[in-house]
Amino acid sequence: MRKIAIAGWLLFATVTPASAHKLIEPGPVIGIAKGSFSATATSTWNRLQQKEGKFQEIWTIDGDHLNRVIFLGGVPDGEPLLTERDKKRDPLPKFAAQMLLPDIPVLFERTYRSYYGTPVVEVGAMEPVTFAGEQGIRFEYGYTDTQDEVERRGEAFAVVRNKQLFMIAFEAPKLYYFERDVGSFHALARSVKLAR
Amino acid sequence: MRKALALAAGLLALAQPCLAEEGYSLPAYTAAYEPRTVDERGLWMDADDYEKLWAGSPTRINDKELNDYVRRVLCQTVGRDRCASVRIYILDIPAFNASMTANGAMSVWSGLLLRVRSEAELGAVLGHEFAHFELRHSLKGFQNRRTTSDVMAWIEVLGSIAQRDVRDAQLSLIGSAYRFDRQQEKDADLLGLRYLGASSYPSRAASEVWQHLMEEADATAAGRKIRRQQRYQAGFFDTHPTELSRADYLLAEAMKIGDTGDAGAKSHYAAIAGQLPRFLASQTKLNDFAGTEYILSGIAATTGWTGELLQARADMFATRANPRDLITATTLYLNAIDAGYRRPETLRGLGLSLIKSGQREEGARYLSEYLEAVPGAPDAKLISFYLPQPTGNPK
Repeated sequence: MRKIAIAGWLLFATVTPASAHKLIEPGPVIGIAKGSFSATATSTWNRLQQKEGKFQEIWTIDGDHLNRVIFLGGVPDGEPLLTERDKKRDPLPKFAAQMLLPDIPVLFERTYRSYYGTPVVEVGAMEPVTFAGEQGIRFEYGYTDTQDEVERRGEAFAVVRNKQLFMIAFEAPKLYYFERDVGSFHALARSVKLAR
Repeated sequence: MRKALALAAGLLALAQPCLAEEGYSLPAYTAAYEPRTVDERGLWMDADDYEKLWAGSPTRINDKELNDYVRRVLCQTVGRDRCASVRIYILDIPAFNASMTANGAMSVWSGLLLRVRSEAELGAVLGHEFAHFELRHSLKGFQNRRTTSDVMAWIEVLGSIAQRDVRDAQLSLIGSAYRFDRQQEKDADLLGLRYLGASSYPSRAASEVWQHLMEEADATAAGRKIRRQQRYQAGFFDTHPTELSRADYLLAEAMKIGDTGDAGAKSHYAAIAGQLPRFLASQTKLNDFAGTEYILSGIAATTGWTGELLQARADMFATRANPRDLITATTLYLNAIDAGYRRPETLRGLGLSLIKSGQREEGARYLSEYLEAVPGAPDAKLISFYLPQPTGNPK
């Protein structure tokens, strides 16, 4: 039944024009991830219509399999980072307000393992940084998508403010795309501000 | 003698028309079997592609000792002549699975190695997969489905585009040719049992595998506060018999064989010891607290609560991080250290648990020890943040 629903959804998706994607021109952008962030884009991005959770917004340059920036804004205490497909049988780990900075990469890794069903997720370097004017964490990670077996690299910045998690991550195939586009991500990340 | 009789009975049963009636003609086992028909050659080409995927997969575990061990158990179960042509690929995927393609490549997932409790249980699962191969089930299934279920095949294709869990991933052979039907599963179960009967392993281990899987599923369900998912009758579309009926008929058949022997529980854990921390880490990072607890207790039943197991259990509590969990986590980390397991990850976990429970000084002490043990740790800068500093205000 679920498969038929997916098939139906895909058919629907193919006949509906993807008009809902939005071009992000260089310049100030407000209201990212339901108003959690604002930023100044220094290059052109595309905001994707589809997202994997209510706190998320995805931007890309060439398509989300090739490079994507994930904004996760205002995840409150007790909520998962992405939408659970089945709350009871396939639950995702939840953010907790008392988490320390080193717990955030663990939460992220466990979410990816469960949500994408990938057994290959590794968190690399972690360091304390100032992000969006707050004390936060920067960490690097890598994972292999089991759908296409492509090794991807990622880099994320996160802070906890007012018991909510704010995070921005960039991920792209390790081969070529990560190195090519990580600079644009850094420029974007430097300009990010949390909505007051 | 008993074994020899059981083997003879098994071989006799294989030659009986019960299998032939259903359209299987059991080929005499030839080590260098080559595909004979157009369908079979096509299937082998697909299988070759899958095998390349496994061979180059980033999840593949190349550890020689572990690979040798799995091969030894397979050979001891199905016999040296049969196992010689099999290529084994161990993949680091924390779920219970093994599979075998038509061309003789076998994949074994780390979640299987973590869950089976003896060489005999591992042999039971490997023997089952080998039985599918020997009975040429994939060919039979392919021919059936080609004529009857093109529509279903399309749904599979569409369904697999959407990202789903690991069981739908490329690695797990969603290719419909490898979906065996219920009768084939049962035939493979029974032939697998005959291999066990002929081996030095007790054949009732096959039933125990399914009993433990049921108990684990019940533990998971209880932990998630949902109804138990055991079903006692297989539904019309189910490809596998229910776990209960498998446990039941496998035990009944094993009683007929009536063999006993050393299942090799201790030797199983000794063989996977080198990889155990890695397997445990993958399992504890899944979001299944109660199911993982069940697995850990199952291992501890044989090995006792070793440092590795205590560390894994401590990590689970530290991650769940309710206030009472932090006390349990701290205690378990200390127990691990008492058991002689003073690894950098133990010191790190203990330090952070103490800090979270408000014991900053003690926590910082263990974190400094962690940094001394691994000076170039990738998280060194972040962990230093929690040490007493002249300036700065750690969160």
